[in-house]
Amino acid sequence: MIFESLQALLAPSSLLAVFIGTVSGVLVGGMPGLTATMAVALLIPVTFVLEPLTGLILMGGVYCGAMYGGSIPAILLRTPGTPAAVATAMEGYPMSRQGHGGLALKVSVIASFCGGVFSTFVLLMVAPILAIFALTFGPPEYFLLAILGLVGIVSMADDESSLVKALISGLLGLVIAVIGTDPISGQLRYTLGLTDLYDGVSFMPALIGMFSISQMLDLTSTKRIVTDTSTLQKIKREPFPKGLKKFVGLGSITGTVVGVLPGEGATIAAFLSYNFARQYSKKKHLFGHGNPEGIAAAESGNNGCVGGSLVPTLTLGIPGNSVAAALMGGLIIHGLIPGPELFSKYGVMTYAFILSLFLANIIFLFIGLTMAPYFARISLIPTPILIPVVCLFSLLGSYAMNNSILDIFVALICGIAAVILHRTGFSLGALILGLILGPIAESGFAQALIIGHGSYSIFFTRPQAIILWAIILVLLIPPIIQISRQSGRKKADVERQSDTSAE
Amino acid sequence: MKKTLTALLIALMMTPVLAFGAYPEKPITIIVPSNAGGSTDTTARLFIKSAKKFIPDADFVVKNVGGSGGQKGFEEIARAKPDGYTIGMIFTTQIVAHIVSKRADYTLDSFHIIGNMMQDPLIIAVPATSEIKTLDDFIAAAKAKELTVAVNGIGSDDFVAAKKFENHTGVTFNLLPTKGSTEQKAMILGGHIDASFMNVTQLHGQHKDGTARIIAILDDKRSDIIPDVPTAKELNVPVSMTATRGWVAPAGIDAEVAATLDKLVADVMSDKEFIEACEKDVMILHPMSGPDYKKYLVELQAETQKFYETTPW
Repeated sequence: MIFESLQALLAPSSLLAVFIGTVSGVLVGGMPGLTATMAVALLIPVTFVLEPLTGLILMGGVYCGAMYGGSIPAILLRTPGTPAAVATAMEGYPMSRQGHGGLALKVSVIASFCGGVFSTFVLLMVAPILAIFALTFGPPEYFLLAILGLVGIVSMADDESSLVKALISGLLGLVIAVIGTDPISGQLRYTLGLTDLYDGVSFMPALIGMFSISQMLDLTSTKRIVTDTSTLQKIKREPFPKGLKKFVGLGSITGTVVGVLPGEGATIAAFLSYNFARQYSKKKHLFGHGNPEGIAAAESGNNGCVGGSLVPTLTLGIPGNSVAAALMGGLIIHGLIPGPELFSKYGVMTYAFILSLFLANIIFLFIGLTMAPYFARISLIPTPILIPVVCLFSLLGSYAMNNSILDIFVALICGIAAVILHRTGFSLGALILGLILGPIAESGFAQALIIGHGSYSIFFTRPQAIILWAIILVLLIPPIIQISRQSGRKKADVERQSDTSAE
Repeated sequence: MKKTLTALLIALMMTPVLAFGAYPEKPITIIVPSNAGGSTDTTARLFIKSAKKFIPDADFVVKNVGGSGGQKGFEEIARAKPDGYTIGMIFTTQIVAHIVSKRADYTLDSFHIIGNMMQDPLIIAVPATSEIKTLDDFIAAAKAKELTVAVNGIGSDDFVAAKKFENHTGVTFNLLPTKGSTEQKAMILGGHIDASFMNVTQLHGQHKDGTARIIAILDDKRSDIIPDVPTAKELNVPVSMTATRGWVAPAGIDAEVAATLDKLVADVMSDKEFIEACEKDVMILHPMSGPDYKKYLVELQAETQKFYETTPW
């Protein structure tokens, strides 16, 4: 069957579809506000007229391309093209400022490629087994997964933003996440009577504001993004950083596992892998200042989601995230109902589709590697031209997401607030973690209590929950020991000083 | 140069006034109150494909206004200029649920109801490993202990169906609101809940694959998609509930334009290619004329009102 699938994939129409899909995916991903979900959904009517396989391949290409494409503006302009690229922006943009933008882009494309290929391989080989694993996750596990992500706030604390400030930022994110409709009772919370706020503060406009617009405001005092242009000349010859393999592997596995879980998206995958990398890196102090390890983990994480999210989609008909949901819509419209039949009766097509994802990964790797030096030149554009253009696209992207004027104001308010928070040493990363994970934690917690008929024991009796508790503790204990030691040392210093001054 | 530009501008502005063509003379915007890729969106796009056969000059533009249970989109249709160039889709029970919860800026009178197109009857599903095999088992189990039953959000069609079922059989469920059918499916397949009320098109594949079991369909007759599943009525539980998807235009629309639109929807509904596409996509056609659909919506609103008064959301 694989041989026939390969034959179907090598037909000129299929090859063309992979190419067009991937290239347009990279472009869509690179535009803030245009997401992979939107692009795949808009392709569905196009696929009416195409052969089912060609249509599917086209959508798969867009999915793969967009996941990578989001990292390009994230690295160069601190404007995440997709929400999943936020963690990439946190490390990639400082690298750009130091003149290492080209290198950051290379790390990103190679990590994306590895994550994508790994997860597609998993999809090809062990999809049914993984799907069963995904089903064992219920509300209590989703609650703990959100907590696992929130633990990352502790590691966001560094010399710039103290632990207390990071926790306050995280809490602020959780508070903003409360706005909207209560997931359980359906009551409205702090929506000010605005229909646009019924679903909560839209995530993408808030991100665009906090990262892109705030950064543009910051840049007004400089001539161009790159502070030290001397390094730019050496882009092509810059040595590739060593020791990234570990982080790419970590990201690929985390991304695939999170992707397999129905409803969990690439954004969470990227953040979780980023946090794992932050915990296990030997160069912890470099995080937040342009550490390629962070890019490697985040990008392999969000691309790892691609294959992962298709596992429950194809085998069980439960889409792994919103892009997979749109892709499933494209399958069903051709009468292809996800389930075992997809792998037997329609096996030739399904396997050709999976194999096409490998091809899509190779195509964006090629595009990324050849174009990196040219893309990197964006950071040489003088700010008087760059700032208006980026701001315009940022606002356009904020609006385009939901066709909502309110979202433009969300972006602007978040932009100004972010400048103030950043200057006063509050961590934006922590805030965003709170914002993304708040709703997941809330509905997971409430649903678990309903299922457990009000008993908290449901969080401690299930084996998956216990494993998650263990990971949470493993992640939480080392930083806490470190922080308490540091503060102990500081206190001792202060005491010694006050002793001497007393004498 | 400036003169020519001004002249051109004036000419451009005059054109719509001068051209007295038949409706439609410019693109018709279709407001789809859900995000691109969903089943409502797909319905609209299948409709466009077929509609062009009947009005060859017509152009259609889909505008997705998703979120807030369709409310944003419904409001945008109601607010639009009633010139026939903005029409939209509605779906139940959300369209009336927003009215009864006093959140909506519209009422059913804000719309010219063109007609209904699709329906999606509700079903009761249990995990494949569940001991519950029939509706009788289900009622007996619910009487013995409070069953955890998932619905898609409060005020949704699933919720109304579950409430109707409770009222009729006298059982009380431990209702679990979810974010939607994806979550419900995952919980049923993973065996995290006892049962779920959802739509037939959301779970028929899993039922056939044996990864979930549908024990009853809440409709007047059995579904062609899953003919092995009995209706609740057959089993002496006369509870029926369905979700509908239809077409509306803003109220106050010109009678002639309204007639054109009504005819267009009726024409599309009888188009062979459209029917075939819907069958392939497992969409269940359920034609209702404008007045019939209006009557259905008014009744549904009254019914939903009753549940809102006992358990407001």
